[in-house]
Amino acid sequence: MQLKTWRKRAIYAAMSAFVAWHSLATLTAPVPPEATGLQPLRDLLRPYLWLLSLDNNWDFFAPNVRRGYQFRYVVEAADGAAHTFVPTQDVSWYSPNFWWIRQWQDAIVDDPDLNADRAVALLCRKHAALHPTAITLVEVDQKEFSPRDWLAGKRPFDPDFLAPQMMTRVECQPQQP
Amino acid sequence: MPAATTLANCARSLLAALAGAWDRIWFQDRPTVPLEVARIGIGAALLENYGMATPHLFEFWGEAGWMPRAVAAQYADDPWIQSILFYVTAPWQLLAFHIVFLLSAFALMLGWRTRWVKWIVLVGHLSYLHRNPVLQYGVDLILASLLLILCVAPTGRALSLDRVRAVRAAKRDNLNAAPAPYTSVWAGACIRLMQIQMATLFFFSAVSKIRGDDWWNGDAMWVVFRTYDFYNRFLLSLFASHYWLVNVATYGTLLVEIAFPFLIWQRATRPYLLAAAILLHVQIGIFMGMPYFSFVMIMGHMSFLRPEWLARAAAAWQRKIGDLEMLYDGDCGFCKRSMAWFMAFDGLRQIRARDFRRDPSPVVASELVEKALYLVLPDGRALPGFEAYRYVVPRVPGLWWMIPFFYVPVLSRLFGHPIYNWVAANRGRLSALTRPRSRSPRRQQA
Repeated sequence: MQLKTWRKRAIYAAMSAFVAWHSLATLTAPVPPEATGLQPLRDLLRPYLWLLSLDNNWDFFAPNVRRGYQFRYVVEAADGAAHTFVPTQDVSWYSPNFWWIRQWQDAIVDDPDLNADRAVALLCRKHAALHPTAITLVEVDQKEFSPRDWLAGKRPFDPDFLAPQMMTRVECQPQQP
Repeated sequence: MPAATTLANCARSLLAALAGAWDRIWFQDRPTVPLEVARIGIGAALLENYGMATPHLFEFWGEAGWMPRAVAAQYADDPWIQSILFYVTAPWQLLAFHIVFLLSAFALMLGWRTRWVKWIVLVGHLSYLHRNPVLQYGVDLILASLLLILCVAPTGRALSLDRVRAVRAAKRDNLNAAPAPYTSVWAGACIRLMQIQMATLFFFSAVSKIRGDDWWNGDAMWVVFRTYDFYNRFLLSLFASHYWLVNVATYGTLLVEIAFPFLIWQRATRPYLLAAAILLHVQIGIFMGMPYFSFVMIMGHMSFLRPEWLARAAAAWQRKIGDLEMLYDGDCGFCKRSMAWFMAFDGLRQIRARDFRRDPSPVVASELVEKALYLVLPDGRALPGFEAYRYVVPRVPGLWWMIPFFYVPVLSRLFGHPIYNWVAANRGRLSALTRPRSRSPRRQQA
């Protein structure tokens, strides 16, 4: 690259500085926090990484694949009937909606103290036609399932391979007129 | 002092070598085409993804939805995590924000006003992510990374409406004018940034996997497909009776992810690694129901397309189709302007224009071209009017977007012929109606 003028030199220096800075951020962001030696560098880069959502560790399906679970909720209607719903069941696998609902369920299951009450309030509103009195959130964990089980005619969602756990039961607030 | 001089010369040579290497790594003159392919794909992906979110807008990002601002603040406990949606209070404001975002994503895909539209898309995407962090998953973060690179890159200089407008402006004076394709060292640097992003992603994805027993033992694929999220009856049935396939798929994934960041840089190995990475993501898209993620990853991989591959593909296409010559009426202003628009989409410069009034065609008599535009094919055949356009559209990649208009069975010809004939018969009147306004004296002076 022929640098003939100061302006060109300044542009070249700015371009070099940016690519160096951004590459450093790209390479540093996924380093696990256990690498304490890099902490000062991470602190320096933190505003840039956080503002632009670059602070990711890219650990897809790692270190181990999360054992599956299904999120369900049971609506207790005013007439005493119980209706069970599985939010992801009616959504196409290929629709982004599936993953949004999935992410929302993860948030409820991972931090029920923060999210469960609000989720129930929304679900009470959603099922207002059933006149719900309370909603119970259920996490159905999957147990180990081997190829031998499959060949024996069993399936991963048979009751033997599922462990339902009641997360919480929250009463619905009376609807505003 | 010869020793000091030698030392200084050595240092100077070393510095020059380092500067040369730095230039070779970062600042090579490159066309923006790989970035433009990524821009089109990412714009389309964002448009589709957030478009699908429209019915759930208030549920996802509204105050009465999944994430009231007070709760979002608990997730975003750092002043650097910012979102325009933190300051949006009324539902109409959220709706307006969403509409502007979708229009901007559409414009990004088309490459219309790319210079500033790309920034709106980046800020919008980050605003959605930060406003409801529980919604975000891997692909959203990959998108944020790629969008930032597209924003700083000189995108919109090829495969875009911006380019079409620039070419059209040049063709208004001379239909055969062909502005040189845009190249720059900054485009080369931004392509390199995207490549580093993708290589880093693969590297850390592999490193985090090899720490887990599922991956070490070769069982990960079995575990994945037996979960509720990725349950695949066909694959499980196949895997159960041929478990070695699970090992092959698991270790194959690891192998691609480990090899990619190291072997993607070499000229000889790049095609194989790129093909393997794309195949891996096609499989993820099909078998794991993650087409959005897979598509975005493949768009990121487009940064590894070599300019010479693209040039070779373009040359092969041109050879296959051959030269096309359009005969038009140079005295008709409307015809010239229409041709300038049409030919501006011909990025591969397959079409040549001939003004039959000044340069009569040896193939088609001028009396015929008086009545309609003609297309002369490489084999000497000539097609008039609507049929000429119909022939050109699928053969010029920049015009493929017009295929639905020209190839609807029966209807295209039923309406196309009379519309074309009417326009051709009234082109004098249309020329007068659509003549560009004459410039003001002050602008003319300028």
